[in-house]
Amino acid sequence: MLSNRARLVVKTVALTLSGLGVAGAIGGLVVLRGGFYDISATEQHYPVIYTVLAQGMQASVAHHARAIVAPADLGAPARVPRGAVLYQANCVQCHGGPGVAPSLHGMSMQPAPGPLVDADTNWKARELYWITRHGVKMSGMPAWEYHLSDDELWDVVAFVSAMPGMTQDDFRRLAGRPAGQAATAGEAP
Amino acid sequence: MNRARIVAMAGLAVLLAACGPTRPAPGIQGDPERGKVALTQYACHSCHIVPSIPGSKVYVGRPLDDMAERRYIAGKLPNNQHNLARWIMDPQAIDPGNAMPNMGVSERDAIDISAYLLSQ
Repeated sequence: MLSNRARLVVKTVALTLSGLGVAGAIGGLVVLRGGFYDISATEQHYPVIYTVLAQGMQASVAHHARAIVAPADLGAPARVPRGAVLYQANCVQCHGGPGVAPSLHGMSMQPAPGPLVDADTNWKARELYWITRHGVKMSGMPAWEYHLSDDELWDVVAFVSAMPGMTQDDFRRLAGRPAGQAATAGEAP
Repeated sequence: MNRARIVAMAGLAVLLAACGPTRPAPGIQGDPERGKVALTQYACHSCHIVPSIPGSKVYVGRPLDDMAERRYIAGKLPNNQHNLARWIMDPQAIDPGNAMPNMGVSERDAIDISAYLLSQ
């Protein structure tokens, strides 16, 4: 049996917490339904939100890709040119490459699609495979599982893994737009 | 007492506002505040760490936090606003084969972006 004093303390704590909870919910609802949060892609994320989302993505990808085993022939030279064709068809529009700009829609997205010449410092091969296959929610990164075969997905991984060693000329020869063509060609008003 | 506090707060607010990127550095043309948004619309921050722009720790292009202190652009052009805007618009003409693509930046946007970078 609690003493009167202890009962008072418990009651006060419980009422305060539920009061704060209700006030927080009302506040959240007002911000949410009032439309005060700026959802536009010209307004940047708050730094803390960006950092939390980025760290969450890194951890989630590492966790979900942990059991994937890369094929033994991932390093086969034939994969790189095959991956380059797929990269040119599906990836360069948002990610660009050395000396090659992404298309306009890739430039103005938020979050901005990252360059992939540094992908090898951020991701293991199996993680690149997982991201390409499953995409990333709320980032604009689409899932390719139902559009590319498994072997093609690994071709893309092989090509992206080879990108850090490429000059602009190497990249253009394999996967780029013709030299001198500006990002805005055919797309400017 | 209360009035003194109000004056102090107002003074602090003015001081804080003066520290922001809204005030272009002396001799700088263009609108730094507009340039700050413009640079995100050309995805500058996908390869460069840019002051006050939330983004990943990316080291593909060099960090842009000390542009006002730099002597040269790409180790080649003397660093001033005219040359910086030129570089932003057409880096391939200045240093063919370098990794920074021509992003199709208009002259107005390049001036505003350079104004932001040189006002940090």
